[in-house]
Amino acid sequence: MPLDSSSYSLAQFSTQAAADGSSYLEMGQTKIICTVNGPQESKRGGGSRDQSNAARIETDISIAGFSGVDRKRHGRGDKRTQEMQHTVSSAFSSTLFTHLFPHSTIAIAIHVLSQDGSLLAACLNAATLALVDAGVPMSDYVVACTTGSTASYASNDEEADPLLDLNGLEEQELPFLTVGTSGGEDKVNVLIMETRVQMGRLEAMISVGLDGCKQIRGILDDIVREHGKKALNSRVN
Amino acid sequence: MAPYTNIPLSPAELSYLYTSLSQTPPIRPDGRAPTQFRPLVAETDILPSANGSARICFADGTEAIVGVKAEVEQSRVSGAATGQVESEGVLGLGTGGVGDVDMDEEDGDEEATRAGKGEEGWVEVAIEIPGMRDDDALPVFLSAMLTEALLADGELKDRLWINRRFHWRLYIDILLLSQPLSYPLPLLSLTTHLALLSTRIPALISEKDEDPLFNDDWEASRFLYPQSKTASGGHRKPPVTLLMLSVSENVIADPSREELAVADAVVAISVAPTTGLNAESAYKTVALRTVDPPSRLTGAGVPTALNTTAGGTSLSAAEALALREKDQGQTVWRPPRGGVKRAMIAKMIKMVTEKGGVGQEVLEGLAGVET
Amino acid sequence: MAISVLPPAPAPVPTAHKTQDGDSPVDEDDMDIDSLPTGHQRTAQNILTPGQLVTQDPQWMRGHGTFNADDSDAVNIRSTLAGTLQKTNKLLSIIPLRARYTPEIGDLVIGRIVEVQSRRWKVDVAAPLLANLLLSSINLPGGILRKRTSVDELNIRSYFSEGELLVAEVQQLFQDGSASLHTRSLKYGKLRNGYFLSVSGMGGGSGVVRAKRQIFTMQTRRGGEVDCILGVNGYIWLAKHLDEKKEDVGINKLEEAAAADTTMYSSQNDEIAAETRAEIARISGCIRALVENGVKVEEGTVKMAYEASLEIDELEGEVSYLGGERGRSVVEMVLSGRG
Repeated sequence: MPLDSSSYSLAQFSTQAAADGSSYLEMGQTKIICTVNGPQESKRGGGSRDQSNAARIETDISIAGFSGVDRKRHGRGDKRTQEMQHTVSSAFSSTLFTHLFPHSTIAIAIHVLSQDGSLLAACLNAATLALVDAGVPMSDYVVACTTGSTASYASNDEEADPLLDLNGLEEQELPFLTVGTSGGEDKVNVLIMETRVQMGRLEAMISVGLDGCKQIRGILDDIVREHGKKALNSRVN
Repeated sequence: MAPYTNIPLSPAELSYLYTSLSQTPPIRPDGRAPTQFRPLVAETDILPSANGSARICFADGTEAIVGVKAEVEQSRVSGAATGQVESEGVLGLGTGGVGDVDMDEEDGDEEATRAGKGEEGWVEVAIEIPGMRDDDALPVFLSAMLTEALLADGELKDRLWINRRFHWRLYIDILLLSQPLSYPLPLLSLTTHLALLSTRIPALISEKDEDPLFNDDWEASRFLYPQSKTASGGHRKPPVTLLMLSVSENVIADPSREELAVADAVVAISVAPTTGLNAESAYKTVALRTVDPPSRLTGAGVPTALNTTAGGTSLSAAEALALREKDQGQTVWRPPRGGVKRAMIAKMIKMVTEKGGVGQEVLEGLAGVET
Repeated sequence: MAISVLPPAPAPVPTAHKTQDGDSPVDEDDMDIDSLPTGHQRTAQNILTPGQLVTQDPQWMRGHGTFNADDSDAVNIRSTLAGTLQKTNKLLSIIPLRARYTPEIGDLVIGRIVEVQSRRWKVDVAAPLLANLLLSSINLPGGILRKRTSVDELNIRSYFSEGELLVAEVQQLFQDGSASLHTRSLKYGKLRNGYFLSVSGMGGGSGVVRAKRQIFTMQTRRGGEVDCILGVNGYIWLAKHLDEKKEDVGINKLEEAAAADTTMYSSQNDEIAAETRAEIARISGCIRALVENGVKVEEGTVKMAYEASLEIDELEGEVSYLGGERGRSVVEMVLSGRG
């Protein structure tokens, strides 16, 4: 199922003046606000001076209590949240030019306002936009999306097309994975799957996912250009 | 010696700001009048999955989002005969017994049956500030102040009562999206106010004490704070908490971060419209808290006479003290001492609650936000 | 109304995404580079986004904001930032739309001390890394020229302590990109008698730009003279003008002039009249209005904005707060005045 830009009802750039970079992204009903602060000197004073020769990337994901259908308070030490944070940090550590900012920190703060599936993918896309807004040099966008498999074991239908961009209900029922690319259509940066699926289905799912990522990259790129044009046209030389 | 607190301002800057604000009339660093607010951007109903929501952006870039969710919860079984509920509210202020006198009879039967049956524990406020844990001082203190203000008029909890076995539990989740540049209390309070104004609760179809059944049609839902006028002609609205600060004899509203840094005293005043008959003023104070002004944590500046690099000599302790007292903080910064005069607090309350005062302007300004 | 509640700005409608190969717009760019004139074209056609191919022509050299995507040995210059292209002879670099201030040698900056170490200070200049100010890079009061001793090190806080503001120049850059400052001139040093404000971000256009004069004096209507220091890093200082008895001093008279100025490290303010304070508040409002409306901040625009605000006051009544509506009209007058 091809992705069309109408499912990205909204993506905004530079939404918060107080942060170095910020963005707001909606993927269906999943709404994410991301702010980036940095690169800034690591706030570790006193004894242990941070002598690393590359910037650290710190991600902090906070899922609001009102984000799901039921109100649920998520603690900070939640394992699932920590794993997502680590995934986001490591996805960007290979694309951001961190060696240009030794002993400093890039802090990515992600706030999930509403979740309806594709949470990790939306976090990665929102973080990409915010990092571009902050002017952090990177080798390419990191874009991600989810794919799921509708093929049922019994019917052995290899022709069943994998689904693209799953929502909450679909994620609960179907096996799905999140795939992220950077630096080209076939350069996979992130691949996370928490459910189980037959080996044979995997290749089809990933290739549909890669195609989806390509489309998403185009959409995000358009947004950056749109914003840049507006900014340049409103400035006076 | 100037310890580095989180107010990064030099003694020279602090002294300049303080003297500017103590002029008559006070000269604020951005030229505002003492009761003038900075423009803010506000919108409501941004979260379709929440009963009510709002987002406010202040001019300095700080932003907050509040989502209100209501869920049905089973009530604790109370002592059947007298109907007295043993439990205390969240703040230990006790709950009203069923035997309480209910409000004006003109309010209708619905109100009368509900009066006094609500429990304060049914309202839960949770604040999320980036970079702070949930048990840090600031989020805990802010949520206690906001909860206290909300429950102060005693009516909100009563509106959550469904029947003897069930009630609504109201979760107010406040999300501060930026680093707390200045004391975030007014921002969070205004956003909570807007979110509560837009909160809708599904309409009840079932009767009496049976399991609650609600109307699926969202259009039939009712507002938590009904927009109809009460019998006395006032509107019911959630309270708004504003920060007022005093610098020598002047009182200033909507302080910016640098103004907070030099305040003599900072007071958080929660104001709501009055609903009773024969009210003298349209607005009343529902809660009042003093906030420790951050200026007390700053270090005093060194006067030139004592500054060895500036050609001064070191005087004895008594002479140095006499020098500072003579200056009285006019040119050399010194942290404020002492508390707040009662007359000053009375002046602040009057500024907020009087007709045409700060409270009215803020509440009317927010009422104009489309729900 | 003492409070104005505004609706949020509507989101920009994204243009329909045309599905095309990612490479076709790039080819056009590739051919256009040679025809671009040297210098910086800030027109909207030349927006580059991260990962976009700039050129594959081996004659070009890579500058700031580009990297060589290692696809075999071919030259494959791609952008790392969202910004516009700048050509200087054979060097290609990208000017970002928005980025943190990066220090350059010779920049005049305003900084705040965040840390005091044994022989130097760490200064916040809104850059990715804290700048250094060495004890040997400041003027000693009294104009003495001598080697710094351990007594100086013990008294280091009497010169600058945490939280204090100073104006300095970037002397050199370290390997990691951090700056080293110096205040070895009479116009640099500790700041007092005034008000600080910060306008964030760099990236050409909005914010403070590098100009010939960063420090200038403004004649105000009622408040006497106001010194304005526009730091290239976006930190700005507005202060009451200090009467300088000194004329232009030559190098060999430096120590005599410095000897006369014993108050260079004082934190004590002078008496400042209420009118001057009001004028300082007005100028800060003008600067904020310029930033909010995307006009670069420099001596010319600040002075024009101040004049415009006075004119509008006469036309529409005096208002001291220059935010929102009033700020926009001031900026419009500035823009129309420049033609």
